[in-house]
Amino acid sequence: MKEIVFENVCKSYGKTKVIENLNLTIRPGERLILLGASGCGKSTTLRLVAGLEEITSGNLYMNGQRVNDVASGERNVSMVFQNYALFPHMTVADNIIYGLKIQKLKKEEIAHRLKAAVDMLELNGLEERKPKDLSGGQRQRVALARAVVKRSDLLLLDEPLSNLDAQLRGHARKELVKIHQTYQQTFIYVTHDQVEAMTVGDRIALMHEGHLQMLDTPYNVYHRPANVFTAKFIGSPSTNIFHAQYADRSMRIGKQAVRLPEFWSARLGQSGCREFYLGIRPEHIRLEKERTDNVFAGTVRYVEEYGNRCGVYFDLEDTEVVAICDKTDLKPGKRVYFGLDADKIHIFDKHTTMNIGYPEVYHEHLYQYQSV
Amino acid sequence: MRTDGQIKWHILLGGALVLSLMPIVFAISSSFKELSEAYGNVFSLIPQQPTLNNYLQVFSRLPLAQITANTFLIAVAVTIFKTVTGILAAYAFVYFDFRGKNVLYFILISTIFVPFTVTMIPNYLTVSQLGFRNNIIGVIMPQLSDATGIFLIRQAMRTIPRSLIEAARLDKAGHMRILADIVLPLVKPAVVSTSIMFFINSWNEYVWPVLILKDKENYTLPLALQLFISSEGGTDFTVAMAVSVITMIIPLALYIVFQRYIINTFTSSGIKG
Repeated sequence: MKEIVFENVCKSYGKTKVIENLNLTIRPGERLILLGASGCGKSTTLRLVAGLEEITSGNLYMNGQRVNDVASGERNVSMVFQNYALFPHMTVADNIIYGLKIQKLKKEEIAHRLKAAVDMLELNGLEERKPKDLSGGQRQRVALARAVVKRSDLLLLDEPLSNLDAQLRGHARKELVKIHQTYQQTFIYVTHDQVEAMTVGDRIALMHEGHLQMLDTPYNVYHRPANVFTAKFIGSPSTNIFHAQYADRSMRIGKQAVRLPEFWSARLGQSGCREFYLGIRPEHIRLEKERTDNVFAGTVRYVEEYGNRCGVYFDLEDTEVVAICDKTDLKPGKRVYFGLDADKIHIFDKHTTMNIGYPEVYHEHLYQYQSV
Repeated sequence: MRTDGQIKWHILLGGALVLSLMPIVFAISSSFKELSEAYGNVFSLIPQQPTLNNYLQVFSRLPLAQITANTFLIAVAVTIFKTVTGILAAYAFVYFDFRGKNVLYFILISTIFVPFTVTMIPNYLTVSQLGFRNNIIGVIMPQLSDATGIFLIRQAMRTIPRSLIEAARLDKAGHMRILADIVLPLVKPAVVSTSIMFFINSWNEYVWPVLILKDKENYTLPLALQLFISSEGGTDFTVAMAVSVITMIIPLALYIVFQRYIINTFTSSGIKG
């Protein structure tokens, strides 16, 4: 099994820097997700591992060996391409075993592996078809079959589900996890879809403009975002971010202020700053119609119906805020009130936008992130 | 649904079709006429008294088998060389990254626009110096590669998604293997039609072979045809038409066999660019 280490890796095309100073260790056998919006460098990172792009500076190690100059064919990796990259003039079976033939494996071994892959991915009866006679889902499974028959240590997946419709995608996600459990390969999986990232990943590497923003478990990426970007990127609707000042044990937004519990004060006091970004997820704002003690007040602008839930958009001072509730009879113009759930808020440094950390009482959730 | 505008175009195209088919029909019908009938009744399509005399005359006056073999040999050699070099160069231009690639390609393509008459004399001198005058090798030698072929094949290769090549690379396929297994099967129509174009061009070529070849037994078919329409050959134009028909048979047969690929390549390169 291979450990993959990026050491100060940069990649640029001419003057355009695509990846800057990437330090990342991918553990053997894990499912690592490279997540980010288009153009963030996630696909390039994957292609660097595959050897399809050359590293501009820095080092890439696989299994302890520096592989900067090792040809892709020698790296023993399999890859599923976004457009599947099936050879249109070959049958499904020929597509799947193409790499095995080049490796000059014995005929029986090739037949055995082909059968195993075809059975696992439910491609029975399609072996002699050409890719153009297959549906999108079938093509995607052929691409997967072609990748798994090689039995390589590393499986690279470049947005493998993005061309499937929503129903198939759910099914295919489960299939991918099943493949991982069968072959125990290291997965590196590129996606822009956070649901996919959360459900498939052991760990998520969130990227933005060529920089690694956070590398952690799906749980921590959601509950312990390393910085403002992560907090806003993960979750939908996106985390509410407020400009806030801290003074006299109170968090102040505009003219309104709310007291924080003692243990937060200690944490904020340590940071030595007074200005912060306060992050609260929409699903963690509990709106009240009656004013109580120690709350922020706002005015409802509009309500979005999602079917199972609804989103209430309201103005708090100058900031538009969204809260998610199960159901509501709130109408535009109504006053709403909410307090702060001390264990559901995130506080970020105003200058670095990094998370300042959490009070010790919450440390049962190991808060760890790799800073960049 | 046909509109009046379309009918207008169809009449125009129909007229053009008749004009371009006329000489061929004329040649075939005249080649089966006696000279007197051909002169007396120029535009009748069906010979009144069909005869094979013209063909028999051609065979008796010329080493026709030898001449056809020469033409074929030259055309096949030129086609193979131009196609193979075209495929290799196109592959390099599409899939290799090297310094000066675009400049080199530009220079190469600009040679398409250099007229034959410009290179004719230098090529003639080179071939003479090397001692290949009056030899079909001399005809073949300056035609080992062709920028038009590189251009057409490159255009076809560019339409292959890059990920196919990358997938093959990850499977440890080397360049020759990628070319043979992936690229060639996918650009087959372009390669076939380009090579047919090379074949027919070479088959019909007149000026260059006439410069190089001196003896009748080294002649190609267009040169043989010239023998019957020049002042030395006399005015036996029905015999000349028989040679024309013989000259036409092989390219026409090729076209009929590979028609599918040819139409495919030229229409798609026209539409998709």
